[in-house]
Amino acid sequence: MTTTDHSRPGSAGGADVPGPLHGGPDDDHTPQQLAAMDRTELDRLGARYDGVEVLHVEPVAPPGSAVDRQNTRKVTLWFALAGVFAVVFLVIYAGSGWFLPDWQWPASSNTWSAIFTPLLGASMGLAMICIGIGLVLYVKKLLPHETAVQDKHDGSHFDRVTTGATLMSGLDNSGLPRRKMLRRTLYLMGAAFGVMLIAPLGGFIKDPNKGNPLGTTPWREGMRLVREDGTPVRPGDQEPGSLATVFPPVEGGDHTVDGPVMLIRLRPDQMETLVTPAGREDYGYGDYLAYSKVCTHAGCPVSLYEQETSRILCPCHQSQFDVTQGAKPVFGPATRSLPQLPITVDDEGYFVARGDFPEPVGPSFWNMGRLG
Amino acid sequence: MATDTVPAPEKPATLAGKAAFEVDDRLIVAGPLRRTLNKVFPDHWSFLLGEIALYSFIVLLLSGTYLTFFFDASMREVIYDGSYAPLRGLSMSAAYESTLDISFDVRGGLLIRQMHHWAALLFVASICVHLLRIFFTGAFRRPRETNWFIGIALLVLALLEGFAGYTLPDDLLSGGGLRIFSAVFLSIPVIGTWVYFTVFGGDFPGELIIGRLYILHVLIIPAILLALIALHLLILVKQKHTQFPGPGRTEHNVVGNRLFPTFAGKATALLFIVFGLCAALGGLVQINPIWLLGPYNPAQVTAGSQPDWYIGFVDGGARIFPPWELDLWGYHIPPVLWGALGIPGVMFGALALYPIIERVLTKDTASHHLLQRPRDVPVRTSLGAMALTAYIVLWISGGNDVIAEKFDLSLNAMIWFGRIGLLVLPPIAYWATYRICLGLERHDREVLEHGIETGVIRRLPHGEFIEVHQPLGPVDEHGHGQLAYGGASVPKKMNQVGGARRAIKGFFKPVEEPAEVQRQAELEARGLEAERADRELTGSGRPSEGGRPSDGGRPQDPRD
Amino acid sequence: MSTTNASSEVPSQGARRGLWRRRAVAGTPASAARDRRRSKQRRRLANVAGLMAALVLTGVGYSALAPGANAADDSTGNPSNAVEAGRELYVRSCITCHGSNLEGVEDRGPSLIGVGEAAVYFQVHTGRMPLVRQEAQAPERAPIFSEEEIDQLMAYIQENGGGPTLPSGDLRDGDLAEGGELFRLNCAQCHNFVGMGGALSSGKRAPSLMDANDLTIYTAMLSGPENMPVFGDNQLTPDEKRAIINYVQTIKAQADPGGAPIGRTGPVAEGLVIWLAGIGSLLFGIFWMGTKA
Repeated sequence: MTTTDHSRPGSAGGADVPGPLHGGPDDDHTPQQLAAMDRTELDRLGARYDGVEVLHVEPVAPPGSAVDRQNTRKVTLWFALAGVFAVVFLVIYAGSGWFLPDWQWPASSNTWSAIFTPLLGASMGLAMICIGIGLVLYVKKLLPHETAVQDKHDGSHFDRVTTGATLMSGLDNSGLPRRKMLRRTLYLMGAAFGVMLIAPLGGFIKDPNKGNPLGTTPWREGMRLVREDGTPVRPGDQEPGSLATVFPPVEGGDHTVDGPVMLIRLRPDQMETLVTPAGREDYGYGDYLAYSKVCTHAGCPVSLYEQETSRILCPCHQSQFDVTQGAKPVFGPATRSLPQLPITVDDEGYFVARGDFPEPVGPSFWNMGRLG
Repeated sequence: MATDTVPAPEKPATLAGKAAFEVDDRLIVAGPLRRTLNKVFPDHWSFLLGEIALYSFIVLLLSGTYLTFFFDASMREVIYDGSYAPLRGLSMSAAYESTLDISFDVRGGLLIRQMHHWAALLFVASICVHLLRIFFTGAFRRPRETNWFIGIALLVLALLEGFAGYTLPDDLLSGGGLRIFSAVFLSIPVIGTWVYFTVFGGDFPGELIIGRLYILHVLIIPAILLALIALHLLILVKQKHTQFPGPGRTEHNVVGNRLFPTFAGKATALLFIVFGLCAALGGLVQINPIWLLGPYNPAQVTAGSQPDWYIGFVDGGARIFPPWELDLWGYHIPPVLWGALGIPGVMFGALALYPIIERVLTKDTASHHLLQRPRDVPVRTSLGAMALTAYIVLWISGGNDVIAEKFDLSLNAMIWFGRIGLLVLPPIAYWATYRICLGLERHDREVLEHGIETGVIRRLPHGEFIEVHQPLGPVDEHGHGQLAYGGASVPKKMNQVGGARRAIKGFFKPVEEPAEVQRQAELEARGLEAERADRELTGSGRPSEGGRPSDGGRPQDPRD
Repeated sequence: MSTTNASSEVPSQGARRGLWRRRAVAGTPASAARDRRRSKQRRRLANVAGLMAALVLTGVGYSALAPGANAADDSTGNPSNAVEAGRELYVRSCITCHGSNLEGVEDRGPSLIGVGEAAVYFQVHTGRMPLVRQEAQAPERAPIFSEEEIDQLMAYIQENGGGPTLPSGDLRDGDLAEGGELFRLNCAQCHNFVGMGGALSSGKRAPSLMDANDLTIYTAMLSGPENMPVFGDNQLTPDEKRAIINYVQTIKAQADPGGAPIGRTGPVAEGLVIWLAGIGSLLFGIFWMGTKA
């Protein structure tokens, strides 16, 4: 522990000369005393110093006895099993596609690729669980059972008082309590600084009222109702009692959230019980009605058309709308009817919209009734 | 060289000893290390529940890091051209495509993905079970309220983290869930539309949300979770773990095993078991088969649309809430706000404030380190049962369409079950739990007074049949026990007071001779009597004051 | 056929012959009574025998002379016979609810005019018809009618009411990926993303497609049974229908690469598994690892 050359400054270090001893338990126990104790005694001594008293220790079985040997065999077996499973995992993982069948996914079923992942999971899982079981058995059967008690300490009054004094004297020394102007400036500065730090979050904010995006959809007058493949729809294309999803013919129209529309053709007996809400008498076309597919509860596409009960059921929260009563909600948590798209047929015989929806589409929101 | 210093201690001889010396010479860690190794932890089984949460979090971190190397959190439209034929040629987001690649084109990728998802479900489930244990045993009382708050925060963060995680693949099911999530924001009064546009960077779905959820999911929330978990454990270690009342256990000590080697061994074992369970589930049981769900499309939806189980109660609340919309002069507050934000808000608020509520109601401001058996606090236990019943009704309502379809029930009837059940079943649960708690308490005291029912029938000389009872302690002149109830569990079977002889080990043939077992049992019995002679109970049981816990009437730890 | 014949009697060989046979002495009033009893017994015996013989003869005669039971089923290559046979089946099983002229009966059954053989195939082949009782939805059962009888019913309904006919050719001849997209847009909301079925309102359900063959799926789309919407050939072209069927049947037969599919229904089953298998097994583990009490 000595450096050989002491001529340079800083080359003689603290390790050359042993310093005074640590203090505390080193004062009570000399190294000679400690050297005279065996391991168990040293363990107990240290524990007692930490406030822990070991009450009793008992081996599970006398060391070397038949029970002990049996326990050891058990634990060894579990760890060995874990190793075996780990190797199985490696074999399956690395061997697939090599000396085992390929794991890559084909279109057909019941091949090695279908059991590749289950085998991997089973072998890895079993390997880990076997280690866990082995460890538990080790603790329960091979380690001596020991019960220990540890003191709890309450808070130290000395510490509280001295720490408080240190803090408060620091504050006193700073003179802040009596430097009012400085303090007030600090508060104001702190406020401004804090706001400055979070101000860049303003980049997230977007104005929902600019251009009225929530109150309008891509639908405009004269737009054809098109299917998901872009083809327009004729009145002869659907049977009575049918539902088709149609979209506005704009860029990305089949992926807009407020564009999808349900084009429903009613059956004759549904036509008999049809109740058209006031002001919407000319919204349909013959036995055709077009309703927004976006549920007015939470925005899922409503979709489930029960042609006999005339109900449109939303699978998300089970709101049910009656098609023969203006898609009014008749069950479930929805409160607003599905907005109806006014449709007609153009010169070439294809369905077109006569304008946008008369009300906002989708879930209700705060200023829905007072939009632009 | 000073003479008042003692010569240097004996130098270590082994390699490990030398290495340890070098480390301690530089860092001086021996003392803190010994203190840590000697820490005592009580080892009741229910104290291991929090560890399950911790270990499933570790599984999540490891498997999640693996997934980040393959996942592309972008909503850019791509045309799929990978291994899975039924989706080939379709347009989808890059996020969905990269998840398909992990599932079909990365060796072992599907295993890791499924492990990650199962571990997430297990993480939240174990937090909930751990929360129930803390609640029903009163471990949240002073001085542990802070840890309780941190725990509730961890639960809420875990829910958000899970939601963000299963939304990342951008499949049909989770995309629908994201849509509902957006509608909840929209429903907030006054600022709802602003919050909605801010979160999504425009109208739903926009092009930013998957990327934003990704950063939340892999960086921000895990960082906060790690910090809070570290704090949670630090406070636990500092305050020491609570324990059930029992012989030798007081408010000023902890009885159990030292950290090294017993507790560490068991904790490591549990880590492997949890990891192994996640791996086994990850391979053997399919979860979130996104290739069957298809990519997200706002015009498509599947029957049986549910979130993952831990968000189920929010969905259930949205389903059963009646169609009550508040219309304030043209301003609307739709029902989805109450169902999906109101109910969880009330629930988590009540949970977070519960320690304060209980302290105010019971006027109990003392520090507690001993736990309570649930039966001994009937009001709290019944309140907990009531809350749990309400939660379970909401949870079932979240899956009511799947239940209706599988069990041939009416969907509309399931909704009504949820609505009425939420109001009617919790009070019934409260009352029933209360009566059960009282009954159990009464039985405890009866056994303390009259002893254990042994099942042995004796006929007295004058013809009367009596059952022989084994008293638990000294009896007075009337034959009644004089032990007071101490908050610990009362033995109710003869086995629990050592009434059964020691088992002979061995499956096909005994490992020890029966005579040997008999001899051992006699030795132990004699040893027990010898101990009883010099046993004494001191007031605090503090080892530093020389007191030792007694073993009188103590139920034996089962050996196996 | 029995006659009293006193002379045929065996002369008695003593008053008592056996313990249980006491013979009356000839010529006594007892023997006359015995003779009468005897003849009565013989008459009865003869009556019974005669009746049995008559029955047997009639049966043999009938089966020999009556026309065979299968004589009416020679519909192969003979359409009018099939329609007629179908009419007979209809009158026996369907007329009560659907009327004598397919016009339907109020509150019992709809009109079958225009439903076509496709609808008949679907309803009868899946056992939904004949309906056992009126309830929220006709349940799927084993079909009552044989394949041949179903053909006859189809012929009868098609002849008298018209409507969509059965398709021909390979019903899976369509693009797999396109079929998937169409399925998810038009079918998944009721039947679930792979066709495991889903709940409709008030006790009704969109059934699982697991047991459906190609023709059943096709005819269901074409006829729109009960609450299912009608998907005519102009809405979903025959090619698109074939694409959907290809997708459904391929996915049904496809293995699950991630292990046990647990019903392919989504998070509800997954939550159940994590609580029962996950937390359940871990609870056992920690009971074992820790102490009790």
